[in-house]
Amino acid sequence: MTVCRRYIKPVSDVVLTLLLWVYFIFSYLGFFSLFYIGAFLFSRNREISFQRINHFFYRGYFFCVRALVPGLEFRIPEEVFSIRSSVIVCNHLSYLDPILLISLFEKHKTIVKNIFFKLPVFGWLLKMAGYLPASASGELITFMVKHMENMQEYLSAGGNLFVFPEGTRSRDGRLGRFNEGAFKIAKRCNAPIKVLLIRNTERLFPPDRFFFNTCVKNTIEIELVGSIDPDHHGRGRSVSELIGQVRSLLEDNLKR
Amino acid sequence: MIREEIQSKILEIFREEVEIEKPGLDDDLREMYEFDSIDALELLGEIEKLLGTGLTQDEKKQAMDIRTINQICDYVESLEKEKL
Repeated sequence: MTVCRRYIKPVSDVVLTLLLWVYFIFSYLGFFSLFYIGAFLFSRNREISFQRINHFFYRGYFFCVRALVPGLEFRIPEEVFSIRSSVIVCNHLSYLDPILLISLFEKHKTIVKNIFFKLPVFGWLLKMAGYLPASASGELITFMVKHMENMQEYLSAGGNLFVFPEGTRSRDGRLGRFNEGAFKIAKRCNAPIKVLLIRNTERLFPPDRFFFNTCVKNTIEIELVGSIDPDHHGRGRSVSELIGQVRSLLEDNLKR
Repeated sequence: MIREEIQSKILEIFREEVEIEKPGLDDDLREMYEFDSIDALELLGEIEKLLGTGLTQDEKKQAMDIRTINQICDYVESLEKEKL
C-alpha cells in the first residue's frame, strides 16, 4: 500500500489528468465542434441546442472520469436527475461542480463570472448557450436584459437555472456568504428552489491543485436536501428569509 | 407627474418589490443595499407600469448605470418627457 501510494499514485494522478485533458481538448475540437457549428447554422433554437451539446460533452467527460479513476463512485439519486423548471442552488467545492451539474441537466443555464465571457471561443459558447453573466456591465447589459426577461418562460418550459450562491469554492467545506441573485430570480420567476448538496468533488479535484487526486476511495454524492415551492417564497417571504432557509438546509445536512 | 410623486412611487417600489426600506436619495444603492442587475430589471418593469408604456433596449441599457434614487427620478422624468 505504501509502495502504491508512494510510486503509483503520483504517476496515476499525472497520467489520468493528462488523459482527461486529451478528452477535453480533442473531443471539443475534433468532434463536438462539428455539432456546435451545425447547431449555429441550422438549429431553430440555438440556445437549447448549445445547452444540449454541452450536456452531452460533459456526460462523456464524466463517463471517462468514472471509467478511468480507480476507487471513484458517483451516488446521484433519480430525484436529482428529474428536477425541471427550477432554480437550483448548491454548495460549491470544486471546479468540477458546475460541469457535473451540466452533465445532469440537458436544459440548463447558470451564472458565470463576467471575465469568462471575454475569453475567445469559450465566451462565445457561453453566450450561445444563454448562460448569464454575474453582473450586467458594458457590452453584456443588453445580453443580460434579454435573457433575464426570458427566464420565466425558459423555466416554465422545463429548463433549470443552477447557481452556486457562494460565488466561489469553499476551501474548508463550510458555507460562505450567499449572494442574493439566485433567490431574487426564483422570486421574480415564481419558480421552485431546489437545494442540492454536493459532497467530495473537492477530494477528486482539490482547489489549488492541477492534478486529479486518483487512487483514493471516494464517492461523489449529490443529494436533494430541500425544495421550496413558489407558494412559500412568493409575496410575504423576503429574500433574506429565503437565504436563511436554504442555508439552514445545507448546514444541517453538511453536519450529517 | 411632478418630481415628488415620482420619488414617492419609486420609494414605494423599493419598499415593496426590491425589499429596501427608506434608502437615502443620494445613497449608492449598489454599495449600501446590494442593489444588483436583477433588482434593476425588477425596477424597470415597475417603471414601465408607472409610465404605462414599454421601454426600448437602449432605454433599459441606460438604466443599468444608475446608482441613486435621485438618478432614478431623473431617469423617469426624462423618459416621461420623451414619451409625451
